Amino acid sequence: MIKVNGRDFQWEEGLTVKGLLEKKKYTFPKIYVRINDELIPQEEYATVEIKDGDDVKVIHMMAGG
Amino acid sequence: MKYLAKDDSLCIQCHACEDVCSKAYFKTEDPSKSCIRISEDGPEIITTCNQCGVCIDICPVETIVRDNKGIVRIKKKDCVGCFMCVGFCPEEAMMQHDDYIEPFKCIACGLCTKQCPTNAIFITEKDEDKVAAK
Amino acid sequence: MMDVKKIKDEHVTLQEYTYQLGNVDKGYTNRTLYINLSENKIKTKEVTQQMKEKFIGGKGFGLWYLWNAVTPQTKWNDPENEIVIAGGPICGITQYPGSGKSLICTISPLTGIPIDSNVGGYFGPLLKFSGWDALEIQGKADKDVIIVIDGNNGTVKIEEAPLEAIDGHVIGEQLTEMYADSEEDKRNVAVVTAGTAAEHTLVGLLNFTFYDVRRKVARLKQAGRGGIGTVFRNKKIKALVVKYQGVKGNLNNPVDQGTINQTGIKLHKEICKLDDKQNGMRKIGTANIIEVMDEYDLLPTHNFKFGMHKDTHKISSKVFIEKYITQGMADGCWYGCSMACAKAADKFELKTGPYKGHLVTVDGPEYENAAGLGSNCGIFDPHVVLELNFYCDTYAVDTISFGTITAFIMDCYENGIINKEITGGLELKFGNSDAALELLHQMSRGEGFGKVAGQGVHRMKKLFVEKYGADESFLNDIGMEQKGLEYSQYLSKESLAQQGGYALTNKGPQHDEAWLIFMDMVNNQIPTFDDKAEALHYFPMFRTWFGLYGMCKLPWNDIVPESNAHANEPAKIPEHVQNYVDICNAVTGKSIDKDQLIRESERVYNFQKVFNIRMGKGLRVHDRAPYRSIGPVTVEEYESRQDRYDSQLKEILGYEVDGKTTQEKVKVLRKYREEQFEKLQDTVYARRGWTKEGIPKIEHLKEIGMDLPEVLEVLEKVGETK
Repeated sequence: MIKVNGRDFQWEEGLTVKGLLEKKKYTFPKIYVRINDELIPQEEYATVEIKDGDDVKVIHMMAGG
Repeated sequence: MKYLAKDDSLCIQCHACEDVCSKAYFKTEDPSKSCIRISEDGPEIITTCNQCGVCIDICPVETIVRDNKGIVRIKKKDCVGCFMCVGFCPEEAMMQHDDYIEPFKCIACGLCTKQCPTNAIFITEKDEDKVAAK
Repeated sequence: MMDVKKIKDEHVTLQEYTYQLGNVDKGYTNRTLYINLSENKIKTKEVTQQMKEKFIGGKGFGLWYLWNAVTPQTKWNDPENEIVIAGGPICGITQYPGSGKSLICTISPLTGIPIDSNVGGYFGPLLKFSGWDALEIQGKADKDVIIVIDGNNGTVKIEEAPLEAIDGHVIGEQLTEMYADSEEDKRNVAVVTAGTAAEHTLVGLLNFTFYDVRRKVARLKQAGRGGIGTVFRNKKIKALVVKYQGVKGNLNNPVDQGTINQTGIKLHKEICKLDDKQNGMRKIGTANIIEVMDEYDLLPTHNFKFGMHKDTHKISSKVFIEKYITQGMADGCWYGCSMACAKAADKFELKTGPYKGHLVTVDGPEYENAAGLGSNCGIFDPHVVLELNFYCDTYAVDTISFGTITAFIMDCYENGIINKEITGGLELKFGNSDAALELLHQMSRGEGFGKVAGQGVHRMKKLFVEKYGADESFLNDIGMEQKGLEYSQYLSKESLAQQGGYALTNKGPQHDEAWLIFMDMVNNQIPTFDDKAEALHYFPMFRTWFGLYGMCKLPWNDIVPESNAHANEPAKIPEHVQNYVDICNAVTGKSIDKDQLIRESERVYNFQKVFNIRMGKGLRVHDRAPYRSIGPVTVEEYESRQDRYDSQLKEILGYEVDGKTTQEKVKVLRKYREEQFEKLQDTVYARRGWTKEGIPKIEHLKEIGMDLPEVLEVLEKVGETK
């Protein structure tokens, strides 16, 4: 189990940031991803793997309309 | 068409070009008022306009135009001083100084090339259809 | 070209006023132009130091003048009601994106309380350079008039103008042509108009022109919300014209031009580098989020029932980019806006209505238009969205209200509350484009069911109950209005903070005070009531500030600087907040910081709140929200998101859903959600310094410096004493 934005989310072996964003359908382009408070550069979304128990923040930068 | 070309590898950073340019344009020797800029660090030493014309489309009042010799010029009278052209220049060669409310740029007059001791800057020709931004 | 000479020859000058040209000093001209159309009186009013300190400019000035003009009994169509247009001290700088906004205030025909609308176009800046911080119009003319301000010669004229068109795109062109000396001079003319539907509906808007030197057309930006155009036409104003030649980048005479230049150039560079990777505002403007909202289940569909639809791809931003919107133009609605979100579809061929077959320039689509005119009405044809968009603008119908009104009507129609006989033959089912277009054309002509629809959701609810025996509580649940104003186009059901963002507002449910859906629902950054209340204090105050200074909200957070990845409070975009502080100080010579910025807004925000109370609204009861904005009203809605709602019932309430009917579950969920909303109200009111009834506390007004005697007098009347 991992945390995504403070809520529980099912972890699986080999889950990358990219994979997580796809599963959550987080398609918005202005997103910051932090794993255990460390900022993940966008170029590394496909390669960085999330470990079981990680605290992931996917911050959508939009305060809208 | 003519434009001011450069070879960064030949530049010895003597800054003579900046002095002659600012003197010609603003009657003062002040590198911050020069249309050509010589940097002390970085791979790109010489910054100057290659007449690509991106600024022409950015200008909200159509006051930046290409003249019949292909040189991109600013008609200052109608310039509203928005400096969007400064922010959007791919070469960062659209210049601005807080003493003036309009930007300024190289018009390939060639004065600086005559001062350059190493031929790092020179006036040369290129086809007008090859002036696109890099 | 149209024969504008013939049209001009019919003008009769009713009044001419000559004034001394003046300079702008640190963003202010220190004068207001007052015009009374009943008496044909024109005069100069001084802008006082107190006005500048307490009300700043823009909508602050508008609300202050309006307060002094009306009584608690004043109705929107009384002659004493005013239309006040003001930029603000920063308005008119040309270096920082989004600095040309006008703020319009009037007593709204929809809500009966002050409405404020923020609009681009050149009128506000040119008005200021002509010598006026604000234009205050009171009274009513006998016959159709135009008001013409010549900022180079120092004259103001009221002229009878019998022959000009009414519809925005026609009269905008006519007057631009009439008052420009040449093609090059057209950029120096700015026109404000309404349109034909403003005469027959309560949702009339104002169009503000800016001349597009590339497309060679007078483009239109809209002060859309709250029926200001209806008031405009009720005063028999056809148009306002301001002409000023000689715009330069330093006409505000700021104390520190250099800081403005550098801050502007920094943002231009940011937009140049990052916009393509972020929102694509330069390509498609606010419409970039159509498909984003759909993917996050937030796109209002079928009168806010659902948040997504299988056909959204047909009206996605890509469709408009590829098929309709001309690219590569300087699309800023004031000089220096490199965000350039004012998109346009050129040579668009109209298929219906009085301009059928014409090739026109459509300003848009904005996100709100695609969502309101499109998905919310079940319409997924991009041509129809643009055609509705065009006709709304030129007839002067607020697209947001039109979308929400039409969606409500369609919902009622499909529920059998109204039928073909009542609508005069219009089969107003979801997705019926022809019926939606015809409804709009009827608004322009003042005919048929269009006239009913033009009264807005609030009045239609009453009519449907009284005349057609509709179930009042059901209409209150599905009629997406509050305080008389229609909701704008976001689905707030799954974000408690956004329910407050809509309902706990001064003018009515418009997201320009706060848009917290991602922060709340997706990012989970404001989980507690206190967190939500803090956001519902900070963001409305921060966003109010744009309207005080003549600024646009979009360049604040529709482009995000690289520094933001490391910001402590990323949602605030701290670097950009600092930009505003820097520019403000550089123009005015003040030395505010980011906290004082909020304080400046708090004064005006609370003033507006007390103004509402003075007009008989503005209390807790008026902040009640239609349940559709809070949760699923119907079985159909519940079942469309059954997994989510079931698990909420189980996990949050420990409610066993197995074996329960959907109706039972709807009821339990509703009780819970309404309690949450009430609790949110309590927390937000407390954070804003208000009582449980939503009345600003006197000690709070003292603390923020808004304890003016006339303000305290209103509060005494509602029993709030110290």
